[in-house]
Amino acid sequence: MKQLINRRQALQQLSGGLGSLAFATMATEHALAASGPNPLAPKRPHFRARAKHVIFLSMGGAPSHVDTFDYKPQLTADSGKKGKYGPQLLGSPWEFGQHGNSGLWISSLLPHISQHADELCLLRGMHCDQPNHSQASLQTHTGNFQFVRPSMGAWSLYGLGTENTDLPGFIVLGNSRGGINFGSAFLPAVYQGTKVGTPGGRRGGDGSEGTFPNIKNPLLDSQAQRVQLDLIQQLNQNKLHRDQHQPQVEGVIQSYELAFRMQRTMPQLLDLAQESEATKSLYGIGESATTDFGTQCLMARRMVESGVRFIELSSGNWDHHRNLREGMETKCHEIDKPIAGLLTDLKRRDLLKDTLIIWAGEFGRTPHAQGGDGRDHNNKGYTTWMAGGGVKGGFSYGATDEHGYEAVEGRMHIHDWHATILHLLGLDHERLTYRYAGRNFRLTDVHGSVAKEIFS
Amino acid sequence: MKMKITWNTVIAILMTLSVPATSLLAKTSITPEHEAYFEQHIRPALVQYCYDCHSEETGKTRGGLLLDTQDGMLRGGDNGNILSGTNYRDSLFWEAINWLDLEMPPKQAMPTEVIQRFQTWLEMGAPDPRQQEKVTVQSSIDIEAGRNHWAFQTPIATPGATIDSFIADKLKSASLSPVAPADPPTLLRRLNYDLIGLLPSPDEITAFAQAWQRNPQKALTEKVDELLDRPQYGERWGRHWLDVARYAESTGKDVNMTYPQIWRYRDYVFDSFNSDKPYNRFVQEQIAGDLLKVETDAEWQQNLIATGFLAMGTKSLNESNPRQHRMDVADEQIDTMSQAILGLTVSCARCHDHKNDPIPTTDYYALAGIFLSTDTFFGTVKSAQNKRPSRLLELPIVDPMIAKNKYSPADIEQLRQQRSQLIQTRRSNRNNENASQQQLAAIRRRISDIEAKLAQIETDGTPITTAMGVQDARLTGNTTVLLRGDVEKPAQTVSRGFLQVLPGGGSVKINPGASGRKELAAWLTSELNPLTARVMVNRIWLKLFGAGLVTSPNNWGTTGKAPSHPQLLDHLALEFMQQGWSIKKTIKTIVLSKTYQRDSQFDSKNYEQDPDNTHLWRMNPRPMDAETLRDSILTLGNGLDLKRPYGSLVADIGDSRVGRGFNQARLPSNVRYRSVYLPILRDDLPAALGLFDFADPNVSKPKRESTNVPTQALYLMNNPQVLSEASAMAKKLIKQFPSREAQIKHAFMLAYSRPPDARDLAAAKQFFAQYKPVTPDNSNGPRFQNARRSGRRPQNQLQRQAPNRGRRPVGGAMTEQAPNQGRQRGMQPRSGGRRGNRRGDANANTPRIPLMTPEEQTLAVFCQSLMASGEFRQLN
Repeated sequence: MKQLINRRQALQQLSGGLGSLAFATMATEHALAASGPNPLAPKRPHFRARAKHVIFLSMGGAPSHVDTFDYKPQLTADSGKKGKYGPQLLGSPWEFGQHGNSGLWISSLLPHISQHADELCLLRGMHCDQPNHSQASLQTHTGNFQFVRPSMGAWSLYGLGTENTDLPGFIVLGNSRGGINFGSAFLPAVYQGTKVGTPGGRRGGDGSEGTFPNIKNPLLDSQAQRVQLDLIQQLNQNKLHRDQHQPQVEGVIQSYELAFRMQRTMPQLLDLAQESEATKSLYGIGESATTDFGTQCLMARRMVESGVRFIELSSGNWDHHRNLREGMETKCHEIDKPIAGLLTDLKRRDLLKDTLIIWAGEFGRTPHAQGGDGRDHNNKGYTTWMAGGGVKGGFSYGATDEHGYEAVEGRMHIHDWHATILHLLGLDHERLTYRYAGRNFRLTDVHGSVAKEIFS
Repeated sequence: MKMKITWNTVIAILMTLSVPATSLLAKTSITPEHEAYFEQHIRPALVQYCYDCHSEETGKTRGGLLLDTQDGMLRGGDNGNILSGTNYRDSLFWEAINWLDLEMPPKQAMPTEVIQRFQTWLEMGAPDPRQQEKVTVQSSIDIEAGRNHWAFQTPIATPGATIDSFIADKLKSASLSPVAPADPPTLLRRLNYDLIGLLPSPDEITAFAQAWQRNPQKALTEKVDELLDRPQYGERWGRHWLDVARYAESTGKDVNMTYPQIWRYRDYVFDSFNSDKPYNRFVQEQIAGDLLKVETDAEWQQNLIATGFLAMGTKSLNESNPRQHRMDVADEQIDTMSQAILGLTVSCARCHDHKNDPIPTTDYYALAGIFLSTDTFFGTVKSAQNKRPSRLLELPIVDPMIAKNKYSPADIEQLRQQRSQLIQTRRSNRNNENASQQQLAAIRRRISDIEAKLAQIETDGTPITTAMGVQDARLTGNTTVLLRGDVEKPAQTVSRGFLQVLPGGGSVKINPGASGRKELAAWLTSELNPLTARVMVNRIWLKLFGAGLVTSPNNWGTTGKAPSHPQLLDHLALEFMQQGWSIKKTIKTIVLSKTYQRDSQFDSKNYEQDPDNTHLWRMNPRPMDAETLRDSILTLGNGLDLKRPYGSLVADIGDSRVGRGFNQARLPSNVRYRSVYLPILRDDLPAALGLFDFADPNVSKPKRESTNVPTQALYLMNNPQVLSEASAMAKKLIKQFPSREAQIKHAFMLAYSRPPDARDLAAAKQFFAQYKPVTPDNSNGPRFQNARRSGRRPQNQLQRQAPNRGRRPVGGAMTEQAPNQGRQRGMQPRSGGRRGNRRGDANANTPRIPLMTPEEQTLAVFCQSLMASGEFRQLN
């Protein structure tokens, strides 16, 4: 009962953006009666959380670090010479400049993000195990590149629950391929990522009703539907009773309760008509190149406001083996204004301090050229960055060698990165475990050290 | 005449793009006289007239051509070899410098005396001292040591053993006691699901239970035989193969254009499973069907269609470098072939030796030589975005469904006139500075459309019957290793071959005039190959148990998982080959085992020890896959049409780009045939499949994922089609059974294959007591209005849903514009942006909710609850 009151309080705190929640609360009570304690209910972190929400900006295909956030004057100087692995080095075709009070070096490809230099915490010593997209992407999400393991969003949700149990706690926006990157694996199904957007489609959500299909029943009102749902859940309970142990059906039960509540919350959440034109243009919505990612960013802010724990956005096609010059201009333009808009908007709403923004590809790219105007995969050294939620702004941590091949200082493996992210959320990566097949599993397996140096 | 890259020349280029190392001019040792001549006359001329656009120094490689090295000259450019031909006078280089078909240098021809010097030089055999240091890529892989990996060893027989004895041995040594056998209705439901993908009807359950009482073994054997004989078997198991074969009806990736002809491959696969084609033959046809001996045109037709396996992969159609494109196509073919048939990730060796497995990068290029000696015919229409279209294969037998849509001479004349008018307009517009780029692009697109249409018909107007597939290229030969996979960095040439680590993979004899696919097919399906049979029996096991004996079904290398029961795996593989690679026989052996027939009942003691059920102490409970879920809902509702539809909805649309103009939402979603015939567009799957973990067709997918998300719940609760099927189910029940009690009982039999127990009856009772039918007066959703509105306009709906089959010849010529249906939708007035109640956005194809009496509605909601419940969606 105590849990229920906590949850109700949490819901009331959030009710500003979502209108009356009396109905949702009633539904919640039903849910508790039907399936025991709600697994999404907020839980206490291990220690003080620096961030309550995560927005993960996933750059699929792996952007070049030496053309964006890893300034390498020596690479420019040595451009055309043979690099340490043979092929000719390719200095960044773009100028770098110092920005903000901190003077962080950022490429001219990202003029809008550069204006937020003092919020950014660059992690320039990243490395991971595999130079292949699917495996590295899986490792970035789950820590493991070989097996099906829970995604870091699922782990976060498992560890913390979510402030708004009327919405999925882990939402995946945009064209994100590969369900295993967002899965819960052996964790209960309720922790897996819910995709918002056309299923399997590449069109991201644009806020219209069509982007969340089946959210309204064409015939039943909510009372009639509740009676129906009670029947469905009773049948599910009977199935559980017959089979004794049935994680699949437990997952079904929870997904129905959440689905029922989402019918009320989701349309409001996705309705961008509530946003002013000024806000939309801040995110680049309305300009053809930036509308897609801008919409994702604006939705992410609305989700943070509504209490969603972990939101993943995606921008693909960063795999510039060829056409680096043209490709990077296009891609950076697509994300620059939207991300800057997100940072501005979160800051002015005082949400940035509680929200950890993470920008990352699955690896970086080689300082040497591929076919004259391209760069190959490089997992040995690359840059990701964080902002908001408890990290130092205007800060650079770690470094690659003079050309950007390999992380040499402040090296941060994906396991370290995960440990750090969990720590910012108030979770000890060594204590956040789940027992399965006779042993305790962790996001970080048996590795990971927290980079406390980056905490504000 | 200036070189114009038209549709036809693109085809010609694709046909002639040769493998780099096959120039007819051999690299011979150079005499001092020749070298002196080159240095005195040729090099200065090349520098003066050619290097500006074709040298590394200036950084320009116009037309993909470099003339500053011998290698560059021998490799040629986008238009193929420049020095090839039986006589230098036929070569592109000669034509270009003489301003014949090509004009080089472009602004002014070289002086006659310079051309004469080139002639002398060409007559010498084009001696060229500008040889670079030849790069040789060395491998550090120890192949011999690699052979020790378990999966590369020959399978070992265990005489006298059976599936059950292998399983029992392991259970015993792990001190696990297996659970009891499943009861007949559970078993029948399982068999139906596994063999044909459909639930058994209540009558079938009763009949089976009765037969079981008489003689269980006989009842079971007969049932298995009966199910394996049904045409639905081929659709079920063929679909499993389509997952592995990454079957899809569009290119995916950047431009994502449709493949309107690939459904022929889909049907070929279903037919092959139904006829129980030996698996070795099935593989051979897909890799080299075009090269196999045939007796009849019908056989040839099937074999050509089979090679669609190699042609239907993802394509980057906006790749500007044809050499890169060709390499990418070959790479995709190697990737899919090796994963699907060998369970190995050979493509990892494209840029460097395989990091984990004994596959050197030279082995990769030995295989690449085979696929680069092959032309892939995948269709698609040229456009500003699609820089890499190809032709299709013309089939020997005319498809009557296509041939009947004959063009009249007047039609053809009209098309020709339109084309010449458009070409006129384009010419005048080109000189008109006011014409916008968009206008020009639109004209170009319309010309491409018409040309594609004309290319698809005979001179008498009969549409040509086409398919996707492959053929041996005109020029075949070995290829070079590419340094780090870079097409501009060729290293040493390697002989075509297979994987050295496997038996017979090292030294291979391939006729220089052939691609080598025939030899590859024979090697893949040789009984000495330790992987092919093992990989396939593991796939069969996986589909029947929910997990393979090897749980990494597409990765049998060192980072894959070792088999849980290695001897059993070998036993099955050997038996599979001994029984003529018969898939049906392998399935039958497995489902007749006690192991398969076990209940899925939970046992806490066993579970504690073996939670993943690796030892198979019970049958794994499995989620129902997307196809069976949709097929079952339709079966219970308005009925499932078991007849195979002709073609595909994508074939009806023709060539089109998947995007805003044309996408899944524009296609009818209320068709009633089996789910395996729904249109499979890459990155845009039908909702009914995509939501329920359908295989992502971008890559070979051996196993479906299993998710449980609220979007699935929302679909089952709110999707109009589900509601409509539930309504039909209720109406049928009411018609058939007068009493509610009988209706409920039968509904359970239909949905769960079992009668309701006391708890179920209590739940039903409570529901019928509480549910108050909704009437328009107390309904509050705007969607309800929509539903009623469309209810009044069935005519209009039907018209919109009617596929425009037959209006256009197959492979017709829409480019990225919206096809007809899209256009109709696009013309609808927009809703003016009122939020929450956008009437215009309701999918034109969503079925309307039928009118129901209160009694019908109540039972419909009850029936829908059964369909939405966990038990319906799971197999025990």
